[in-house]
Amino acid sequence: MSAYVQYLLSGMVIGAIYSMVALGFYIMWSAVRAVNFAHGDTLMIGSVIAVALMWSGAPLYIGIPIAIVIAAVFGVLIERFAVRPLNDGPSSIGWMLSTIAIGLMIEAYVTISFGSDPRSLPSPLMDTPIMIMGAGVFIHELLVPVAAIALLFALDGFYKHTMLGRAMRAVAQNPMAAGLMGIDVRRMASFSFAVAAALGALAGILVAPIVQVSATMGVILGLKGFLVAIIAGMSNARGIVIVGFAYGVLERFVEGFGNTALREVVGFSVMIMLLLIFPKGIFSPKEVQKV
Amino acid sequence: MKSVASRSPFPVTAALVAAGLVLAPFIVENSFQLRVVMLFLIYALVAMGLNILVGLAGLVSLGQAGLYALGAYTVAVLSSNYGFGFLPAMLSAIALTAIFGVALAYPTVRVRGVYLAVVTIAFGLIVQNVAIDWRSVTGGTLGISNIPRIDLGFGELSNQGLYNVIAVVLFLAFLLHHNIMNSRFGRSMRAVSQSEIAARSLGIDPTARRVLAFVLSAVYAGVAGALYAYLNRYVNPDTFSFADSIRFLLMVILGGSGTTLGPLVGAGVLTWLPNALQAFGRWQLFAYGALLALVIFFLPKGIVGTLQHWGGLLRNRSSKRLRVAEAWPKPSDEATTLLRIDRQRDVAPVLSTKQLTIRFGGLAAVSNVDIAVERATIHAIIGPNGAGKTTLLNALSGFYKPTEGGVYLLDKEIGAQRSDHIARSGLTRTFQNTELFADMTLEENVLVAFDARYRGGLMTAAVRLPGHFREEGQMRARARMLLDYVGLGDYADEVAKNLAFGHQRRLEIARALALSPEVLLLDEPAAGLTHAEIDDLVALIRHLKSLGITVVLVEHHVDMVMNVSDMVTVLEYGQVIANGTPQEIQDDPRVIEAYFGGSGVTPLEEEART
Repeated sequence: MSAYVQYLLSGMVIGAIYSMVALGFYIMWSAVRAVNFAHGDTLMIGSVIAVALMWSGAPLYIGIPIAIVIAAVFGVLIERFAVRPLNDGPSSIGWMLSTIAIGLMIEAYVTISFGSDPRSLPSPLMDTPIMIMGAGVFIHELLVPVAAIALLFALDGFYKHTMLGRAMRAVAQNPMAAGLMGIDVRRMASFSFAVAAALGALAGILVAPIVQVSATMGVILGLKGFLVAIIAGMSNARGIVIVGFAYGVLERFVEGFGNTALREVVGFSVMIMLLLIFPKGIFSPKEVQKV
Repeated sequence: MKSVASRSPFPVTAALVAAGLVLAPFIVENSFQLRVVMLFLIYALVAMGLNILVGLAGLVSLGQAGLYALGAYTVAVLSSNYGFGFLPAMLSAIALTAIFGVALAYPTVRVRGVYLAVVTIAFGLIVQNVAIDWRSVTGGTLGISNIPRIDLGFGELSNQGLYNVIAVVLFLAFLLHHNIMNSRFGRSMRAVSQSEIAARSLGIDPTARRVLAFVLSAVYAGVAGALYAYLNRYVNPDTFSFADSIRFLLMVILGGSGTTLGPLVGAGVLTWLPNALQAFGRWQLFAYGALLALVIFFLPKGIVGTLQHWGGLLRNRSSKRLRVAEAWPKPSDEATTLLRIDRQRDVAPVLSTKQLTIRFGGLAAVSNVDIAVERATIHAIIGPNGAGKTTLLNALSGFYKPTEGGVYLLDKEIGAQRSDHIARSGLTRTFQNTELFADMTLEENVLVAFDARYRGGLMTAAVRLPGHFREEGQMRARARMLLDYVGLGDYADEVAKNLAFGHQRRLEIARALALSPEVLLLDEPAAGLTHAEIDDLVALIRHLKSLGITVVLVEHHVDMVMNVSDMVTVLEYGQVIANGTPQEIQDDPRVIEAYFGGSGVTPLEEEART
């Protein structure tokens, strides 16, 4: 029994991280029908900068905001210089390659400057575990899923109840019409990438005390986040968070009863099966193809 | 691409490649260099396969290393543990990679090409994971180290023998790569990547073509991996990382995606460059990223593509001539024979709907529409903006599925069928905003539409079976004929995006006619045309009718509709409010009401006033 609870709890933790990464993909995709393929790297940037600042003596409450702001600026730069010039039409692949190229360079640079030994970001909330039905869990870990759900509602509220959020939704649905209504489509694109990157950095900082911080930590998390967004349908924030949690929990259970390779194989196969059944994603509304 | 091939004949290129392969062993100084040459050929194989995916289908795979690993491990396991010989082991590698190719591509390419890229990255990582963890089969991190040499029945092959095998495989793969690129398969893959909607409307199933492209690329990678296992005689998981997938992709982009020689050039540069990059030491991965970025921003056509582009510019300067569009339609005996519908299967009506309703959410764009289009008539659908005309057209051509009711073509229910099926069963269409294959020539645009007419399959095209050239020549002649018919024969080699707007319309009609449709749907064909062009369009529509083709016309140009149509159906708010001959429609009070809010002025009078 305690093992099940343990898997469930740790699955929700990692699932929350997937959800936050996936939400970033969703935000970027909605804005410009393209994403930063190396979005996992913004997560890495967030946690590496937070760790580096902490090691240089800065307190967390200063280091964390700085890390998030730097990541957001990085997101804006990626959109401006790697995505926008190369995103010409639905079948263009230039933005995919350029963002991958930049991701490679950043990973290589961080590996060299940060060192390839993984480090950790100690969290003040990880001193003593609390016991829930026989399963040990740190308060910090419980914080991660709560943060993901809180962010979902914040994002939802932002999109629905603020001018800026409404403008972003308008751009997502019809950039041309939005532009004619006086919305600065380009600024919305920059802003979306900034929000996505900030969300990614926050996910990175939240996950830093749990996993090891290294230059390549974002690769797998980013990839799984993208898979989650695709399976959920790229158009429904709630659906994305649901799929993210489910994927995390599934992974932990398979890993618990098997091993890590089995975890990846089963997780991936389930994803492929779901895509076979729901080509547009589970929570995608019936999208009408404009002819 | 086709035009490039015709400028520097492929047999010359192929002979040069063959000569290079024969001479290479004599040029190299030692067995280490020969080994590097063999590695280069293996990489070139992967790159050629990937070129079909990237250069033709416009899709990206970031998991070729995983498929390469799959081929290598298949050979390693089967030959060392189960004593498989060369051919059975190779065939197993091919079969396995093809199966994985279908399994990865089919679920992902149906909606968005980007999905394939994501899923292939995941696949690559999983293959590596499994190779590490499934120790009983793969040997874990230690790998498999006792792979036998190739034995074709007359003793184990030496290094030179292995080189010969690899060189032969590469050369055959090179020919195959070229043949597929320059066939109806390559053409339709490019068409699908340029306009999926247009490809569908011309009877091509985009999913099938994309899956085919990925399976081919997967098999190329699998064969390369299998040869790598024989070359290295040792495989372990480190050889097949994500960075390798990136390197394969970089080879294609750097060399020039979509070109015949690009993958060879790219693979060559990236086989010898890493030795040069050794100097960078820890910065090697950074250098790959930087190189990829540089190529994308400053050399997007790649090395070969850029050279061809410059060559083309030089040549064009010397042979720039003025092209002339001729009057249209220009009926010829051949075109008439090709397009004429025999009336044997005379059923009435040829196209109809019964209680057709299409809802988007709660909104019915078309509700309870009954239309009957008689054979060899011109049937217009008119109505105010937002009346549901285009929605109806999309339902007739299979782009929208009916929420309720049915669509019948030649008495067969087609409501649930896919648009490409409908196109092949005799109903084609044009689009309000022309949907051309912008980067292909006019001739290629029409040839894409002939795809369903070819009898030769993939094998015919890939190994150039006897029927191939005859059939290809025949289709080209027909395509020219149709271009002549719409007066664009002189432009056959021009790229479609360079055409004037009115000419684009003509091309789109020629393309839709290539399937010899029973029914042709024209979605606002007169929009944006000059008066003279509209007169020609009317003449064309009349001529098509005289050939037995049924024309369904959605049009705002009331004058033209009343002039040309046999029957007119008027839609308002998604419902049929009138149906009859032009004269009846003009006198119908409901129509006048719908158009002019009861002012009592008929459409024609309104037209005359303005």
